[in-house]
Amino acid sequence: MRRQGLLWLSAALSLVPASLFGGAAVEGHVDLPKSRSAPIQAKRYEIVTKAGVLSTLPPLAVVYLDGNFPRPASLPTKEVAQRDLTFIPVLLPIEVGTKVQFPNLDDQYHNIFSYSPAKRFDLGRYRPDERPIPSVTFDKAGLVTLRCDIHEHMRGLILVLNTPYFVMTDTAGRFRLDKLPAGRYTLKSWIDSRTTREKSIELKDGQTLHVDLP
Amino acid sequence: MSAAIATRNKDVASFRARLFTAIMIIVATLTALGFYLAQRRVTADAERNLQQTFQTELSSTRKIEELRHAALADRCNTLVAKPRIHAAIEDDAIDLLYPTAKDELRDLMQGEEPPPEQAARSLHARFYRFLDDTGAVIKPPSPSDVGKLDAATEAQLSLKKLPNTQQIGYIQSAGDIHEVIAVPIFSTDTGDLVSALVIGFKPLELEKKSTGMQSGVWVDGRLHLPALAPSAQNSLNDKITPALTDSDSQQNYFRVEVAGAPQLLFHKRLNPGSLFPPAYEIFLYPLASWTAQLNRLRWQIGGAGALLLLGGFVASHFVARSMSAPVKKLALDSEENRAERERAEAALASTAEELERSTRYSADASHQLKSPMTVLRIGLESLLGREGFKPQVYEELSTLLHQTRRLTGVIDDLLLLSRMDAGHLQIASTPVNLSQLVDEWLDDLGALPESPDVKIEKEFPHGLFVAGEKRYTSLIVQNLLENARKYNRAGGRIRVNARGNGKKVVLTIGNTGRTIPPGENIFERFHHSSSPSAASGHGIGLNLARELTRLHGGELRLVRSEKDWTEFEVRFSAANGVNAVT
Repeated sequence: MRRQGLLWLSAALSLVPASLFGGAAVEGHVDLPKSRSAPIQAKRYEIVTKAGVLSTLPPLAVVYLDGNFPRPASLPTKEVAQRDLTFIPVLLPIEVGTKVQFPNLDDQYHNIFSYSPAKRFDLGRYRPDERPIPSVTFDKAGLVTLRCDIHEHMRGLILVLNTPYFVMTDTAGRFRLDKLPAGRYTLKSWIDSRTTREKSIELKDGQTLHVDLP
Repeated sequence: MSAAIATRNKDVASFRARLFTAIMIIVATLTALGFYLAQRRVTADAERNLQQTFQTELSSTRKIEELRHAALADRCNTLVAKPRIHAAIEDDAIDLLYPTAKDELRDLMQGEEPPPEQAARSLHARFYRFLDDTGAVIKPPSPSDVGKLDAATEAQLSLKKLPNTQQIGYIQSAGDIHEVIAVPIFSTDTGDLVSALVIGFKPLELEKKSTGMQSGVWVDGRLHLPALAPSAQNSLNDKITPALTDSDSQQNYFRVEVAGAPQLLFHKRLNPGSLFPPAYEIFLYPLASWTAQLNRLRWQIGGAGALLLLGGFVASHFVARSMSAPVKKLALDSEENRAERERAEAALASTAEELERSTRYSADASHQLKSPMTVLRIGLESLLGREGFKPQVYEELSTLLHQTRRLTGVIDDLLLLSRMDAGHLQIASTPVNLSQLVDEWLDDLGALPESPDVKIEKEFPHGLFVAGEKRYTSLIVQNLLENARKYNRAGGRIRVNARGNGKKVVLTIGNTGRTIPPGENIFERFHHSSSPSAASGHGIGLNLARELTRLHGGELRLVRSEKDWTEFEVRFSAANGVNAVT
């Protein structure tokens, strides 16, 4: 019931001109790669590697507005939990400088670490009741592969972006970005660890631009 | 004659010499063959034994190495499954590879190098390096942790590409040799080949079960055989390098001279199909003791061969002698036989010639006589038909005519005989009724004017048929019956008996009267009885009868002649399908 209500709300909001909220908006569609075996209920996502390329399954994209935006004074803390030996969410886009907590929701040890050039860290082994919750601040843009030293199969991705304007598409590839500043930008969509598509756009206040990223 | 004997003796002697030579050649050939085969066998056996030793020792070493390789592969699989190694390789953090692996591979580098006898159970490594995705060595941040190597040695660890499977190689550095094993590292996520771990070991040494064996490794044009002096090593290297680089064979052996001593050198490719340069296990076996053994054996075989030769010499001498003795006798006998045979042949030839001549002569004579006889007979008959002669003249004429007729019969018989002798007489065989024939002749016999008073007994079935030509069969019967009458006594008897006997018909004619003395050949042509007799005959009747009988496939013989009884028997061929068996 509640989900349906949210849908109604978003539908209603989309009818309201973007100018009411101030700034421009971009909406459109990203052509997602065909999922090899699309689950019927896409409740859980996972990171798959094919020929060294990390992507989500089912495929999802992160659409973001590239540009030089002022760094905000403070950013909300985000969270990547470990539950049932998976990372939740499996792909997390964040702005540079965001602090991410890694709560352990399983009843066993985890040891989250990353050797990725964007951020190398090792949280060591910790239990569910570890306080404070182990956290890392990501201060460099790039893709960070999360691994667990104890559970070899666990993979998670954090996409650290230089922009506050980003959104994840739904499984059909649809997206909408609101409250964007007017100006010329590059709209990018991250598809997988090797594929990022981009398109130059010009945003005008009070206007909703429709952009498809093939 | 003495010259002939001398020639013969010479021939026999030369035969004996040739026989002796042949036996000697055979014995010598067999000895040489035995010598050659034994030596070859010994050589082949020794080489095979050495090769087997080499193979056994090599394979036991190979087993240890396989265990080591399997253990290493296992280690690498475990290693690469570690998330940190994975992360270091896959997340572009190669600099973290060595520090991360250091903990995992710590035991490989710990402790001292074990003594050779424990090397098999130890995984003690001298060094290790990782290769990047191009096959080049990833430089370790702190070489002391992973085994220090000079740049040249380290460069030898690089491969042209990452290997899919374990690769074995041998590299040389500063007078030492390292066995290296490159183990591929596959990503557990993707299954892709991402790196390789190259681990260096002290090479396993072959167990030297036999004394004097030396083993080493040849790799990439250089020989490493520490047991040899450097100069000997270099000269040996010069000898084996062409053999190893040229030949495609993975293993072989050949003889070499090392420092003036003959050695058997075995080699076997240690790393067939490897991406590393080809390396060969080299195995030297000194041939000194083996050569001595072979020499001893050669002497033994040589001695045995000489004894055999000597024995053969003596034996062949005796054998030649004993074998030539019968040959000598044979030579003598055959000479005599030949002379005899030549004589007999000459006699036979002249006899045949004579016979032919006489046959021709009698035929000619008969023909020549026949015409005048006919003229004479006709003349006499016409004279007898005239009237006006005295009765004595008629009597004389009648006697002359009778004699003329007899003479005509004799001439006919002679003509027939000569035709038979010449082989010109052909018989048209038909069934002849013998019973009827005999009856007719018996009737005629009774009608003859000067026939003595004899009693005739006959015993034969009617219709007894024989195969033959009627006129000749008739002639046979006539001759025999006339003889039976002619040589009978007054008041005597003639008995004629005939019976069928399967395929034969037997006719027996017996008569009383004078018997024939034993040993007298009555069947001879122109035979005349030795005892004086009143009975006359021209001496060819029996001969003719017998020849004719033989020509008909039968036989005529005298069955008996004693005590006033003479009996002849004729065997005719029965006419097919006409006679019933009686």
